[in-house]
Amino acid sequence: MKRLLQLLSMAVLALTLSAPALAGEGGRTPLPTIPAAKGDQCVEDTADMRRNHMKYLKHHRDETMHQGIRTEKYSLKQCLECHVPAEGSMAAGGKESEGHFCVNCHVYAGVTLDCFECHATKPETTAQFHPLVSPAAMKAERPDSNGLLNRLVGVTENKTGVAHE
Amino acid sequence: MSEHKQPDLARRELLGRGAAIAAAGVTLAPGVMLYGVAQAKPADEPVSSKVRWGMLVDTTKCSSGCNACVEACDKEHGLGNEQHSRDGQRTQYIRKVELRHKFTGATHSLPVMCQHCETPPCVDVCPTGASFKRADGIVLVDRHICIGCRYCMMACPYKARSFVHEALTDQRPHTPRGKGCVESCTLCVHRVDEGREPACVEACAADGSRAIIFGDLNDPNSEIAQRVKTYASSEIRADLGLNTGVRYQGI
Repeated sequence: MKRLLQLLSMAVLALTLSAPALAGEGGRTPLPTIPAAKGDQCVEDTADMRRNHMKYLKHHRDETMHQGIRTEKYSLKQCLECHVPAEGSMAAGGKESEGHFCVNCHVYAGVTLDCFECHATKPETTAQFHPLVSPAAMKAERPDSNGLLNRLVGVTENKTGVAHE
Repeated sequence: MSEHKQPDLARRELLGRGAAIAAAGVTLAPGVMLYGVAQAKPADEPVSSKVRWGMLVDTTKCSSGCNACVEACDKEHGLGNEQHSRDGQRTQYIRKVELRHKFTGATHSLPVMCQHCETPPCVDVCPTGASFKRADGIVLVDRHICIGCRYCMMACPYKARSFVHEALTDQRPHTPRGKGCVESCTLCVHRVDEGREPACVEACAADGSRAIIFGDLNDPNSEIAQRVKTYASSEIRADLGLNTGVRYQGI
């Protein structure tokens, strides 16, 4: 009985200590930061997009690749147009606006094979690439301050290995 | 035999007139022609096999020091951002080749890129179906399916394909590129679908050489169809019978 109490108290202590680390701004569960997007509504309902966006994208990608159908609905370019904020707002913003809509959530959910190993992460109009992916940012600017960047780089390194030939 | 029909002269005349109208666009002055500009297809319409995109390179207009097409291609597709690859491993969609006839000493300079064959050997050998030819004759790699085996690189007689050896960043939105995939000239398919010309053609024209022209080989009114009809042009390695979309004049 004494041992049980000891264990129980240890468990309570552990939980108390870890609670602040777990608690995000939204409560006990850590959540990815979701930057605001342009417009009021995505091409489908939010719930549908959360569950099925990859299916829509995959279907559209095959049509584009093989048949040259380049409609904007369900195109990855159009995702970025609305969801990736302009360069200025992202660089200037604090923690709330930090990050990339797609990459943030993919890192959070552990989606390791996503579009952005090959596809650009920024819409063309801004002519700038996301600091998460830009090599300049990787080299020089805030190498340690951005936890998300570190995690993403970690993922990339694990996946790609060291050998280059 | 009394049923033997006389030729319908009225119909013949009409056909003749029609052909005259259809041929070669509008003559502005002797030697100056106005050709119809290729119309962009609607975005929601699939490409059609009625079109066969092609290029004609006039090697007599291509000067040996000029690298405008290669530079334009690199810029358009964001090439040359490899950090670790050796020079021989770097991606090239288009390269300049200098030819010299051993006996006569005649020299030619010409750009060589994916020749967009009608019967592409890269498509024949691809084990996954990643290498494919679009209905309009553009040969592409579907990098979503490519496993990076590089059979197509070995099969291509034109050495047109490259392999990406390292993780890349800073891709252009219209040219996704990534490690482990084979890639090659796309004939600037993103531009062609919008009704624009490939970047190399545009750069060559901007440079004043106008050595490369682009158009629909199936459209008898297009400049390229008129040119290949009028002047002798050839394929590189014509002996392979691949019926390439890229043709050369003057070699």
